[in-house]
Amino acid sequence: MKQEFGKLWRKDSTKSVLASLISIIIGMVVGGIIIVIVGLGNSNLGISGAMEGIRLVFGGLFSTGRNAAGALTFGFNSTNMGDMLFRATPLILTGLSVAVAFKTGLFNIGAPGQYLMGTAATLMLALGIPSQSVPTWLIWIIAFAGGMLAGALWGCIPGLVKAFLNINEVLACIMTNWIAANLVTWMFDGSNFRNLVENTKSGYIYKTSFNGVQTAKMGLDKIFPNSQVNGGIIIAIVIAILIYILMNKTTLGYELKACGANRHAARYAGIADKRNIVLSMAIAGALSGAAASLYYLSGNTEFFWSTYQTLPATGFNGIPVALLAASNPIAVIFTGCFMSMLDIVGLQLTNLTAYNEYITDVIIAVIVYLSAFSLVIKMLLNGRKKRKAPVAQEAKPAPAAPPPDESGAAEGKGGDGV
Amino acid sequence: MRMMEAENIIEMLHITKEFPGIIANDDITLQLRRGEIHALLGENGAGKSTLMSVLFGLYQPEAGEIRKNGEVVRINNPNDATALGIGMVHQHFKLVDVFTVLENIVLGAETTKLGFLQKKEARKKVEALSERYGLKVDLDAKVEDITVGMQQRVEILKMLYRDNEILIFDEPTAVLTPQEIDELMATMKEFAKEGKSILFISHKLNEIMSVADRVTVLRKGKYIGTVDTKDTDKQSLSNMMVGRPVQLQVEKVPAKPGEAVLEVEHLSIPSKSHKRDAVHDVTFTARAGEIVCIAGIDGNGQSELVYGLAGLEKSSSGKVTLCGHDISHASIRQRGSDMSHIPEDRHKHGLVLDFTLEQNMVLQRFREPQFQHMGFIKQGAVREYAERLIGQYDVRSGQGPVTIARSMSGGNQQKAIIARELDRDKPLIVAVQPTRGLDVGAIEYIHKQLVAERDKGRAILLVSLELDEVMSLSDRILVMYEGEIVGELDPTTTTVQELGLYMAGAKRMGKEGEGA
Amino acid sequence: MTFLIQQTLIYAVPLMIVALAGVFAERSGIINLALEGIMIFGAFAGVLFVNLTQKAGTFAEAKAAGDWVALQGFMLLAMLVAAVLGALFSLLLSFASVNLKADQTIGGTALNLLAPALVLFFIRIIANQNTLQMAEGDSASWFMIKKSFFGYGRSEDMGFFGSTFIDKTYLATYICILLFVVLSILLYKTRFGLRLRSCGENPQAADSLGINVYKMRYAGTTISGALAGMGGFVYAMTTANCASTGDVAGFGFLALAVMIFGNWKPLNIAGSALLFGLFKCIAASYSSIDINGDGVFLLAQLGISPHFYRMLPYLITLIVLAFTSKKSRAPKAEGIPYDKGQR
Repeated sequence: MKQEFGKLWRKDSTKSVLASLISIIIGMVVGGIIIVIVGLGNSNLGISGAMEGIRLVFGGLFSTGRNAAGALTFGFNSTNMGDMLFRATPLILTGLSVAVAFKTGLFNIGAPGQYLMGTAATLMLALGIPSQSVPTWLIWIIAFAGGMLAGALWGCIPGLVKAFLNINEVLACIMTNWIAANLVTWMFDGSNFRNLVENTKSGYIYKTSFNGVQTAKMGLDKIFPNSQVNGGIIIAIVIAILIYILMNKTTLGYELKACGANRHAARYAGIADKRNIVLSMAIAGALSGAAASLYYLSGNTEFFWSTYQTLPATGFNGIPVALLAASNPIAVIFTGCFMSMLDIVGLQLTNLTAYNEYITDVIIAVIVYLSAFSLVIKMLLNGRKKRKAPVAQEAKPAPAAPPPDESGAAEGKGGDGV
Repeated sequence: MRMMEAENIIEMLHITKEFPGIIANDDITLQLRRGEIHALLGENGAGKSTLMSVLFGLYQPEAGEIRKNGEVVRINNPNDATALGIGMVHQHFKLVDVFTVLENIVLGAETTKLGFLQKKEARKKVEALSERYGLKVDLDAKVEDITVGMQQRVEILKMLYRDNEILIFDEPTAVLTPQEIDELMATMKEFAKEGKSILFISHKLNEIMSVADRVTVLRKGKYIGTVDTKDTDKQSLSNMMVGRPVQLQVEKVPAKPGEAVLEVEHLSIPSKSHKRDAVHDVTFTARAGEIVCIAGIDGNGQSELVYGLAGLEKSSSGKVTLCGHDISHASIRQRGSDMSHIPEDRHKHGLVLDFTLEQNMVLQRFREPQFQHMGFIKQGAVREYAERLIGQYDVRSGQGPVTIARSMSGGNQQKAIIARELDRDKPLIVAVQPTRGLDVGAIEYIHKQLVAERDKGRAILLVSLELDEVMSLSDRILVMYEGEIVGELDPTTTTVQELGLYMAGAKRMGKEGEGA
Repeated sequence: MTFLIQQTLIYAVPLMIVALAGVFAERSGIINLALEGIMIFGAFAGVLFVNLTQKAGTFAEAKAAGDWVALQGFMLLAMLVAAVLGALFSLLLSFASVNLKADQTIGGTALNLLAPALVLFFIRIIANQNTLQMAEGDSASWFMIKKSFFGYGRSEDMGFFGSTFIDKTYLATYICILLFVVLSILLYKTRFGLRLRSCGENPQAADSLGINVYKMRYAGTTISGALAGMGGFVYAMTTANCASTGDVAGFGFLALAVMIFGNWKPLNIAGSALLFGLFKCIAASYSSIDINGDGVFLLAQLGISPHFYRMLPYLITLIVLAFTSKKSRAPKAEGIPYDKGQR
C-alpha cells in the first residue's frame, strides 16, 4: 500500500494535480480574505455578512437560499447543479482550445475572438436556415459545424502569422479578438436576426429556439430539474475524450507535441513545423467555436450583439481552465466544472448578499496568477520529496553524469517579438 | 626559477561543491603562486569550470575556504572577486552582442559623472592597455560584428581594465587557430613576467606543456595531484587525467573510397545576420567509404553549410546531389531518406528534451508503417525498437525507454542520438562535432562507431573544431574560411601548422583544385 | 486640422509612454504583457484619487476661484498616484518572473485578468455601478488648459500654434513627452541604462561583471509599471472623461505593437506612436474630423461603416506587424528567466 502511494507520489501528474489544488485553495483563501476586509469596511455587511460571504464562496453550489429566519440554508440544489454543468460546457471547450495550443507551444489568448466568430456563424445558420423546409436536427448540425469552422478559420490567422512571419501569437490573437468584436457587431448591425419581436430586447439576437433549433436535453433535465442543462455537456465531454486520444495516441498528436516541446528538433526531424502550428491553432479555434455553438444552440441563451467594446469572458476563462488542468484534456472536464461552479457562487453572492459577482473574477485571476508558477510549486513538492525520502531513490548504476551542460540554458523560447 | 620562494597568492583549500545528484568538486585543493602560470587539467565534466566559478564568486561551495595572501576571504559574487583582483575569461564569452567593444569593456566598472557615462576617459585607458600588450581591438565596433579572436581580446582587456592581478583563462584556445594560440601563449607569458598570476584551464596537453609552470589535475570531481611540468610528460599527464592509459590515436585502415554519394556544386547560403553569404560558392564531393572532414574556426560557415545540406536553411544558388538525386530544393524529410544527421546542438536539434527516450528514438521514423497504423502510434513497436537500440548502443538512463531525455547525462543523450542516426542506415552520415563536451571514453566510442560505419561503405561528412579529431579521424580535410572552402588537405601529409594557416585565411589554394 | 492634431496627440502620447514602459521591462529581460492590466489599474487609482479628493473638498476653493495652477497641481498629483500604484501592481509581475521564474506570458496574462476583476469589484463597492467617475464636473472643466488662462477672450484667436498646442490641451500630454525624453536619455546615456540593457541582452555577462540581474529586472519592470499606470490614467482622463470602467480596449496591447514596430528604440517608438495615434483618433472620432477645415466631414461622408473605422487600429496593427516582424530585433534574453545557478 505504502509502495503504491510512493509510486503515485513520484508520478509527475500527481504533482500537477497537487500544484493545481494548491493554486485553487490559495486563490479561494485570498478571495475569502478580500471578502472579510470588504465586509468589515462596509456597514451593510459587517462581520456576519463577511461570514456569510465566505460560506457562500466555499459552498455556494449547495446554497438553497435563505430560510424564514433569514439564515443561509444549504442542501442539494438541482438548479445550481444543472446550471453549473450548463455553464461548464463552453468553459470545457475553450479550456480544451487553450490546452491544445499550449501543447503545441502556443498561447491561445485568441479564444474570445474565435468564440465570437463561432457565435456569429452558429446564430446566422441556426436562424437563417428556414426550419419549414429543413429539419431542425439538420439545422442544428449545420450550425454546430459552421460555428466550429468559423472558429477554426479565425484561429488560423494568428497561427499563420506566427508560423510564417514569427509574430508573437499573443499579440496577433489580441488583435484578432478586437477585430472579431467589431466584425461581429458589424455583421449583426442592421441584420434581421436582431430581436425586434420583444421590444426590450433589440440589443439581443433571437434565441435559436425562435427557429425551433435547440440542443436535445438527453434526459439531463430529469436529473437536474429547473435548470438550463442540456446534452451539450455530454458532447463537450466526448470532445474532450477525443482530444485526449488525438494528442496521446496518434501521429498527429505526436507531431503537434514535438513542435510544442522543441520546434527546432521537430523541424530537424522533418516534421512540418509551420503546418503544425497553423493546424494547432485551427483545432484550437474550432474548439472555441464549438464552445460558442453549444452555448447558443441551447435555445435559452441570448447574444448581446453590440459587443465591440467587450470580449466574452468565457474565452479568457479558458486560460485558467487549461492551466489548472496542466493542459490534460481529461482534467479540463473537471477544471471547467470548477470554474463554472465559481460562476454559480458569484450569482449566489449577488442574489443573497451585498457582495458582487466580481469577487469570483478576482478568485479566478488569483488562481491564474498562481498557476503561472505551478511549476515552482511542483519544484517545491519535489524538493520536499527529496529531503523526506532520500533512501527511496532506486540505486541505479549511476552513469557518470557530468554537471548540467551549459547549452541547456539557452533553449528558452525567446526570440520572437515581444 | 622564482618558485624557490614559493608564495601562494591564492589558495583554494578543500573545496566541495555539490549540485543536485552530483558532487562537482569533492575536497579539492589548489594553490596558485604569484607570477606563475598554473594549469588546471581535466576531462570535460571533471569539475574545472565549477572550481573556477567558485573562485570567481558565481557559486558558493558547501565546504572549504579560499585564501588570498594567506588570509581567508569570502567571495560571494563577481564583485568580491573583482575587488580581490581576480578576473576571468570565460569559455563562453560573456559579451553583450549589440554593445560596442568599449561598452563591453567598461560595463560594470563604468566611470560616471552624476550617473552619466564618461566614455572618453575609459577610451584612453583601454587604448593604452591595448597598445601595451598588442591586443588589437576596434573599440567602436559592435561585438556581433567582430571575429572570435578579437572577442577574446576584448575579454582579456576587460580583466586588464579592472587592474586584475589574478587572471583565469577557461579553455581559451578552443576557438583559436594554431597561430592565434601561439600569440595568446606569448601574451600569457608576458603577463606572468609582470608578476600577474595565471590560472589556465585546459584539456590540451601540448599547450599545457608549452606554457604552464605547474599543473593540477582533476578527475570526476576529485583532486588527483599537482606536478611541475618540467618533471612530467604528456603520457603521464594523460594517464592522471583519465585514470587509465589512453590511446591518443584512432585505429583505422586506409580508406577505400567508392562512388560519390554527396556532390555539392557552387552552393551559396545567405547569412541571417550579415549581408555577405554565410556559405559562398562551395563545391566538394563525399564518396562512399571515406570520412571527409570540414575543418575551420567556429563561425566560418560550417553550421550553415550543414543546415543547407539538411534542408534547415535555404540555399540561394548551387546544386546538391545525394545518391544521384538533385535535392537542392527537397524538403527536410525527403533529404532524410538518404541522410543521417548528428546535429551540432543536441539540445536544440537533436532531442526533444521533454519527450521520453523512446519517443526521441522514433523522431524521424514514427510515420513508418512499422510504428503506426492509420495514424495511431503502435506503442508496443516503439517500445521494442527503443529497447533494442538502448541495448545495442549501451545508452544508460534511469528508467530505460520511458526516461525523460532531459534527465539523462550529456554523454548518454549523445549516444541516444548516435544510436538513432546510425540505425537509420543511410548512405550519408553528417556528423557535426559529435564528441563535443564528452569524456574520453565516450569520444573513443563514437570515433570507433564512425570508422566502423565508414568501413561499411557509408560516406561520412564530419564537421569538427577539434584539430586533434580532424587530424586523426579524417581521410580528407576541407578547410572553411569565411564561408568558402579554401583548402583541401591530406591528413597523412599535412601538419597542424599548415592547417592553421588555411583556417586563419592566411593561405588558400587555387580554385581549380576544389572538389577533386 | 487643429482638431485632428489635438486628437491624435491625445491618443499618441499615452501610447508612446506605455510603449516606453514596455521598453524598460523588455530591455531588462522581462516581457511585460501586463501593460494593459497595469493601465487599467493605474487609471482606476488615479480616478479614485480624483474622486475622493473632490469629495473631501480639498480643491473645491481653487476650482471655485478658477485657480488653474492649483488644479494642474491636483492633476499632477493624480498622475503620481497612478504611477505609484501602477508600480506597486507591477511588482506582482516582477515577483512571479524574477523570483519564481514563472512563465512571463502567463504571469502577464494573469495580471491582465486580475486588474479588471479587482477594479470592477472595488468600483461596484465604491460607486454601486460599473463605472467610477469624477465626483463633480468633468475632466475638461477641471484639468484642461484653456486660452482664458492666458488672458485671451472667448472670441480671440491664439493663432494656429496656440490653438493647436496650448488651448484645449492637457498639461499631462507635455509631462509625458518630457518624461519620454528624459527616460530615453536615462536608457542610453547613463550607467543605469547601460546596465539595464545588458540584463536584457546577456544576463550571464552582466552577472559575471557584478551587476545584480534580479535588481535590474525589478527596476526595469517597476519603471515600466509606473509609466503604464500613469499612461492608463492619462488615457482615462483625456479620452474617457476621467472615468474608470475596468477596460482600456486593448490599448496596452496596441502599445506593445507600437514598441515592436518601433524596434524597442525610443525615437522610432515616438514616430510609430504618432501613426497609431492617428488611426486610433480616426477610429474614435472619424465623424467629426474636418481635415482641411472646409466644413466637410470627409471620412463620415465616404459611406464606410463606422464599424470599419473602429476596427481599423487593430487591423492596421496586425498588418504592420506582419510587414515589420522580419526586421524587428527583440532584446535577446527577454522572456527567459534568469537563474544564477545555470550559466
